[in-house]
Amino acid sequence: MSTWYAMNVVLVQTTLTTLLLALSIQVPLRFGVFSFAGVGAFGIGGYGSAIAMVHLGWSTWPAVAFGAVVAGLVVFLLGLVVQRLTGLYMGMATIAFTLIVSVLAVNGGDLTGGAMGLYGALGEISVLQILLVVLLVVALLHLTELGGMGRRVDAVRDDPELANALGVDVVRYRQFSFLVSGLIGGLAGAITTLLRSTITPAEVNFHLVILALTAIVVGGSRSWVGALIGAVIFVWLPTWIGFLAEWERVAYGVIVAVAAIYLPLGVLGVAKDLWHRFRTREERARVAALAKES
Amino acid sequence: MQDVLNATTLGSIYLLFALGMALVWGTIGILNFAHGATFMFAAFIGHLVTARVELPLLGVIAVAVLVGALISVLTQLLAFQPILKRAKNRHAAELRILIAGIGVAAIPLAIAQRQTRSTPFGLRSSYSPQVYEVFGLRITTTAIIIIVLGLVIGIGMTLWLRRSRHGLALRALGVDAETSAGMGVNRTTLAFGTMAVAGGLAGLAGALLTLQLGAIAPETGDQLIIKAFAIIVLGGLGSMAGTVIGAYVLAGAETLVLVMNWGTWVDAVSFGLIFLILLARPQGLLGRKEVRRT
Amino acid sequence: MAETTPDQEAPLLEVRDVAVHFGGVKAVDGISMKLWPGRIYGVLGPNGSGKSTLLGAMTRLTPMTRGAFVFEGQDYTKKHARTIQHMGIARTFQTVRLLEDRTVRDNILLGTDSLGRETRKEAAARVDEVMERLGIQEVERMRPDELSYGMQRRVEFARAIISRPRLLLLDEPTAGMNTSEREEISAIMRQLLEEGVTQFIVEHDVQMMVDTCDYLYAMNFGKLIAEGTPTDVVRDPAVQEAYLGKGAGKHA
Repeated sequence: MSTWYAMNVVLVQTTLTTLLLALSIQVPLRFGVFSFAGVGAFGIGGYGSAIAMVHLGWSTWPAVAFGAVVAGLVVFLLGLVVQRLTGLYMGMATIAFTLIVSVLAVNGGDLTGGAMGLYGALGEISVLQILLVVLLVVALLHLTELGGMGRRVDAVRDDPELANALGVDVVRYRQFSFLVSGLIGGLAGAITTLLRSTITPAEVNFHLVILALTAIVVGGSRSWVGALIGAVIFVWLPTWIGFLAEWERVAYGVIVAVAAIYLPLGVLGVAKDLWHRFRTREERARVAALAKES
Repeated sequence: MQDVLNATTLGSIYLLFALGMALVWGTIGILNFAHGATFMFAAFIGHLVTARVELPLLGVIAVAVLVGALISVLTQLLAFQPILKRAKNRHAAELRILIAGIGVAAIPLAIAQRQTRSTPFGLRSSYSPQVYEVFGLRITTTAIIIIVLGLVIGIGMTLWLRRSRHGLALRALGVDAETSAGMGVNRTTLAFGTMAVAGGLAGLAGALLTLQLGAIAPETGDQLIIKAFAIIVLGGLGSMAGTVIGAYVLAGAETLVLVMNWGTWVDAVSFGLIFLILLARPQGLLGRKEVRRT
Repeated sequence: MAETTPDQEAPLLEVRDVAVHFGGVKAVDGISMKLWPGRIYGVLGPNGSGKSTLLGAMTRLTPMTRGAFVFEGQDYTKKHARTIQHMGIARTFQTVRLLEDRTVRDNILLGTDSLGRETRKEAAARVDEVMERLGIQEVERMRPDELSYGMQRRVEFARAIISRPRLLLLDEPTAGMNTSEREEISAIMRQLLEEGVTQFIVEHDVQMMVDTCDYLYAMNFGKLIAEGTPTDVVRDPAVQEAYLGKGAGKHA
């Protein structure tokens, strides 16, 4: 176990940070907001924490908190600005936001280290600590999937007008999703950056959007469990299948496309469907029999 | 004056690229995120072909246009068409098409990056551009071809959509898919035709830009996608004339930023434009207001 | 228009000169009504006469051009749609709008999720009763798309009544149902009335309206063309011409 752990510690770290990044995109999607701002938050959180460490001399966790909070606030404000946009327009505006973060980083002078990026922000972060952070985030998100809260979130996503008619404050819910997306994305960026000790503008790019999207689309977009499945598949599959490692990016392209076409709710969606069908097999048989009679 | 000329050349490239995207999005409602990869891969196949056989200018262009159209049609056949068939509603289909497009785009990009090791590639041709000097302005034959083709195809397409029977059918599709289906418009056939034309235009733009610059990098297509989105949003979705204007406005603004020596901010122009337009005038300069049905 | 003045001193809902124009289309054009508690009201009218739009305006989902709505003495014209349910108004929709990936039970519970904690608890306990009343307790774990259209409409109905509204707005509650199912729903509506739920139904099935309603309005081209007891309204020549003359046979 310990040798396995020593060999794979980086992969475990990557799985956890990828999960956070994926969650930052998934949260708004669950609220019916097609926002990629979580990836921008990743950049803001990364730069925020690195700046706090390098320029302000802060220690690791205050720096991480600083990055996450700044990212949360910026994305929340972004949400207020773009909340009128729908569907694709929202998607593109938030992609534009993410890329603007990268342009700002290039032009940030000494503060951001320009195109070369910031160096020397090595934090002291153990895997256990990351795990605790992730557990906390996941526990809080889990609450939003349960009971009445879960139903309201589903209504806000699937039929906002209906949600309004049933007394759900759709606008407030969606603003909240921006805040959460920013905080989680910021956390992901801050932890990733302080683990590597460096961040460059080139990292906050479109590939990161694809990475996060892959995890969610493959795993499932409706629950944190889906993001976890996606993150695990994404990080570990190449180590299990050598062929994939070589053609990694091609494979991900194929996987994303295939999932978008055939499994819109991901692996988790398929599993849930099967479980539902199994659970209700008797009722469904009865209803089918009734339909035949009449 | 030289700057104006450069801006016009750049604008014409943007136009050729954006026209295909605008056509597909404005008529059959598909925002094809693989358009950039189509553009790049058409030029890349051209690169592979011309590395073995030297072709005249028209030959190079023909190869790129055909490859572009082929990729585009394949994307429609293998990804978008199945999604349209399966999706329960238009909104869900939109998002799945965007995600599938992102996945599809990753495939040729990864292949090209692997083959070229992410270095720029060029086209070999028996054609060699001449440089003319008119009134102290330097212009190459390639630039002239680009400007003329951009304007001719741009204006031609605007008129064709407005006047011809097929154009009318396509526009009807863009306004109200159900009614036009009732009018006997075959959606599937038109969709494939439109995608083929768009892909051909992407291939044309790919070949011309590569000839103009000498070489392009595999990632060039991704950057152009965001720019094209800015152009379409600026001009107004569904308006070809708007796309023509948008292309030159963006190119002009970017050239201005370059001339002012703020080179690192160039990318921020298109990202910022997307933002401003979506917030201030979501229907674009010449776009129709979206018809809301209750 | 003739006033209707039963014993109660204040109407439950007052509709004052409401108009909804979409560009040049006058979907609803100057409608005034007074709904008194303890009755079932109905609006008859052919498709496109503006009756569903009126319902949309009533629940503040559809922006209106002019006019006012007063519920229990409170003008809620400028309030947001999400506050309507809290006031005590619930509605169903013309097309079935249920959450696809949720069970029947979850969909019904959604009707109470935004109410106060106490109401919510009480309602959670009432779910079984409501499902039984509508005959859907057997399918509580199934998803809407596994049910027949008539069953889906019952789930919608259940979601609306679980919040114990004082005014229930029903948009074609029996569309897609067969005759016996219609009679069942009609009976449930009368039963709800006994429990004090005032109802406002939009429908084009004349027979159902005559059987169920206490008072009828008829609409065409966004205006009221008649009102009164069901038999009077059905006999009204303007109604005969606008509505019955053309489409009566189609939906019977």
